[in-house]
Amino acid sequence: MTLFLQQWHGELLKLFGRKRTYIGFGAFVVLQILVFLLVKKFGLPTQRIIAGAGENVDYYLSALTVASFVMGVSVFLLGALFLSLVAGDIVAKEGEDGHMRLLLARPVSRFRLLLLKYLTCTGYAVFLIQFLAWTAFLLGIMLRGWGGGYFALVPEVSVVAFYDWGPGLLRYALSSVFLGISMTTISSIAFFLSCFRIKPAAATIGALSYILVDFIIRTGGFMDSHQHLLITKHMAVWGRVLAETIDWPLIWRGYAVILAVNLTLFTLGYAVFESRDLKS
Amino acid sequence: MALLDVRHLTKRWPTGRLALDDVSFEVKEGEILGLLGHNGAGKSTIMGITLGMVRPDQGEVRIGGRSVQKERDRALRQIGAIYEAAVFYDYLSGWQNLRVFCSLSGWWDEAEVKRVVQIVNLNRAIHHKASTYSHGMRQRLALAQAMLPEPKILLLDEPTDGLDPEGIREFRELILHLRKHHGMTIMLNSHLLAEVEQMCDRCVIIKDGKKVFEGPVPSQEKTRRMFQLETGDIGLAREILDRAGATMDKHGIVEVPLSMEPHELVAALVRGNVQVGAWQPHRRTLEQLYMGLSSKS
Repeated sequence: MTLFLQQWHGELLKLFGRKRTYIGFGAFVVLQILVFLLVKKFGLPTQRIIAGAGENVDYYLSALTVASFVMGVSVFLLGALFLSLVAGDIVAKEGEDGHMRLLLARPVSRFRLLLLKYLTCTGYAVFLIQFLAWTAFLLGIMLRGWGGGYFALVPEVSVVAFYDWGPGLLRYALSSVFLGISMTTISSIAFFLSCFRIKPAAATIGALSYILVDFIIRTGGFMDSHQHLLITKHMAVWGRVLAETIDWPLIWRGYAVILAVNLTLFTLGYAVFESRDLKS
Repeated sequence: MALLDVRHLTKRWPTGRLALDDVSFEVKEGEILGLLGHNGAGKSTIMGITLGMVRPDQGEVRIGGRSVQKERDRALRQIGAIYEAAVFYDYLSGWQNLRVFCSLSGWWDEAEVKRVVQIVNLNRAIHHKASTYSHGMRQRLALAQAMLPEPKILLLDEPTDGLDPEGIREFRELILHLRKHHGMTIMLNSHLLAEVEQMCDRCVIIKDGKKVFEGPVPSQEKTRRMFQLETGDIGLAREILDRAGATMDKHGIVEVPLSMEPHELVAALVRGNVQVGAWQPHRRTLEQLYMGLSSKS
């Protein structure tokens, strides 16, 4: 275990040693501030729904509601792109640049090296979403202050719920963890493609394209009777933790599918990588 | 004792090109072996197979008795390598780069790392970003990472490629220092004859994937006694030399058998009425050996 942690530390040192990682975080913060300013100027689009439900708009238009909206928009606009970028690079770029040949001159198996990389990029997905969740929360506090209610809205899984501050904060934190786990699937797709002898950009674009096509097919209603075959359908299960009564069996089913898909992608990626001769 | 044993390696690329054809040789403890050949001869493929990065169709490589193909991790614990161009993480310092590479071996000992950094003469720049390093400094950093943590054998793939003459000399001195003072066994791979000649004890010459020579580097040969004979009576001289058990090639290079002394051979030639114009010791160069092998094949 100590050996594994030592090796993982090396992998994290590479990820967090480069400027691009921080530029990415910076880009998210800028986007969140932009969304925040728009919310400040024009208000939330969900205000009418709160009013329509006969609830107190001022109470439910809280830091949590604003944070939820800001985080949702930033994950939708940049999340998939940035996670694909990181995971698409993680194997392919090291192969392309020649680092892989020095790494594998060490007494470490390809399986272990890939496992370290996989854990790094999926762990990064969870970490990034947590970062977004809590910076959005901070912006929400700046706009609306501490306290109030929480209006949770996830149309993809038909969730509409109203909470007080304490339970709302708990649900917000829980949903951010589950969203992070859902997003690991994007990292897994990009990681899988990255194991081939391809350009890192190709792995990124491939992963993004798959997710986008899957999303369009699902939201466009082209495969209404076969929605279970679409990965974004299962990824959206995170929103169910915001429902007033949490349907845990449904959530675990969704994450079982996500886990199976992630494991399959890792195994296939490993098989591809293991069969490769590493020579320029 | 053979520390590295290359046995019957055969490799064909998916394109159908035969990269290696039944290549076998060994590297003995404490020696510097040069793997020599033209570009594309198969030298790097041998290195790749030795590091388990390329799979052979047949054959295996054993390091310290352990098969790289069967127990790669254990076999590679005894090895340090620079395989193809040494590329570092430019956004990290030299020190952090060493940390990343050593972490994969599950090892980090600051005192030992400092000692090795001192050996490769990078102590002043080790905390600078790798992006600021010259090519020579990168090669020295590559050597430092290969030397950590204390391998028994170093594999160096074209280690002086792209270095200026001064860098080549520095690197050569460093390699010789490692052998002399640290008892390091080294296999290096090069297409530069002078480099191999000056650094190596023995060499293996690969041509189009086949081993065409394995033996001492000519300039290091101590057992063979060669002389350059100048005479107008070539036919008569050859006859007498043949009778004495000596051989002479078309350039008049005579190899004296171990059973007799060179002056006895000269006396025999003179007694046989051969007019000896000159008789001087001859050292065959690696270039002559290499070109001879090239023209033969």
